[in-house]
Amino acid sequence: MGIWDAFSEIVEAVTPWGVVEAEAPAAAEEPQEAPEAKVEEKKEEESKEEEPAAEEEPEEEEEEEEEEDEDEIKDPKEELEEECKNSPQCSPAKHHFDECVERVHQQESEGEAKEDCVEEFFHLAHCATACAAPKLWSKLK
Amino acid sequence: MLARSTLRPARALNGLRNAAVNVSKRAASTSSGAAEASPARLNLAAIASTTLAAGSMAWYYHLYGPVAFASSPAEEGLHPTQYPWVHQQFFKSFDHQALRRGFQVYREVCASCHSLSRVPYRALVGTILTVDEAKALAEENEYPDEPDEQGEIPMRPGKLADYIPPPYKNDEAARFANNGALPPDLSLIVKARHGGCDYIFSLLTGYPEEPPAGVKLAPGMNFNPYFPGTGIGMARVLYDGLVEYEDGTPASTSQMAKDVVEFLNWAAEPEMDDRKKMGMKVLVATTALWAISVYVKRYKWAWLKSRKLVYDPPAETKVRR
Repeated sequence: MGIWDAFSEIVEAVTPWGVVEAEAPAAAEEPQEAPEAKVEEKKEEESKEEEPAAEEEPEEEEEEEEEEDEDEIKDPKEELEEECKNSPQCSPAKHHFDECVERVHQQESEGEAKEDCVEEFFHLAHCATACAAPKLWSKLK
Repeated sequence: MLARSTLRPARALNGLRNAAVNVSKRAASTSSGAAEASPARLNLAAIASTTLAAGSMAWYYHLYGPVAFASSPAEEGLHPTQYPWVHQQFFKSFDHQALRRGFQVYREVCASCHSLSRVPYRALVGTILTVDEAKALAEENEYPDEPDEQGEIPMRPGKLADYIPPPYKNDEAARFANNGALPPDLSLIVKARHGGCDYIFSLLTGYPEEPPAGVKLAPGMNFNPYFPGTGIGMARVLYDGLVEYEDGTPASTSQMAKDVVEFLNWAAEPEMDDRKKMGMKVLVATTALWAISVYVKRYKWAWLKSRKLVYDPPAETKVRR
């Protein structure tokens, strides 16, 4: 995002051989699928007499796998920040936070908590997010 | 002369008595005669003035020096991390795929509480939706029409010129429905908050699973480190897989937050793409003009730069030197 990116972008924009391509519209996928479906239909027609059940099973399995993939969306932010929290970069902040949590829990067990761990939490969160930010953007669309 | 003659006898008379005083007076203004008195005594005025100056500075610092930070870090809120937003670069436009996804997130998630009152349907055409999609969307809502013959105001389906309807009738209704907290209008929210995109992204994704130990939250409030005061009325709304994107992008929490923040940035600055294009035009025009001015200058100065100064000495004469 620096000034040099801006210059390289100008150069890219000015070069006459540069081509701007928009992303393909979503409709392009349908014709690709259509011939496959036709082929499958043909196959099914051919193999109707032989084993109609054999071809249906794998399709069902594929569908199930897709559904599972959709259900198990993991947030890359949380994963990256968890990694960052345990990295040596953030170990001082994590150490302080853990110590604070322990102290406060002890105070709570003895009576009333005299402090909270917000500040320690801030330092840890700041460290983790700053560490994860560039990695996260490379993963998100 | 008179003054001098009257002074002289007086000085002669007082000479002995005033000798020491005279010496110390001279020492105060000049440094001659320092051999006779102690250095500390001679520098008394310097020491006193320096002490006074230092003392007054110290007193001032004591009174006004330390700035009073009334708020604790929790009251200030955690400052958001800077994320490398592509659309904020000088020569990048909005990612309109992301805008489309973000609008979907707004409609399916945010719109149940937050209004977007400054965005008309026509603004969505060509940037986020096609004309037909925007028209169909506008027609889902009813708006008051012109009065008929009897003066009654019938309702009509929405048009492209209409604005996106708010979820609540007014602020009071919004507060009543949300435990006293008013969900802010999101049209200009990116410009209206410190940290802009980073703040909103961090706020949406920054809800910890449980508040850190020792935090006491007011009833009905949620802990969010990025919200000043850390107690926020809005609960976490974005969960993985909440929205099913039409382009098949995996709808993780951070992906949805990123898309919706980019959409809100568009809502706040819909002119950004055009503005950057205009900036590019300005750069192109000014560089061209500069190049022309360089050529013109060289052309106009050519005679001056190419001239030759020659010293033509006079013919030698027989003059005796």
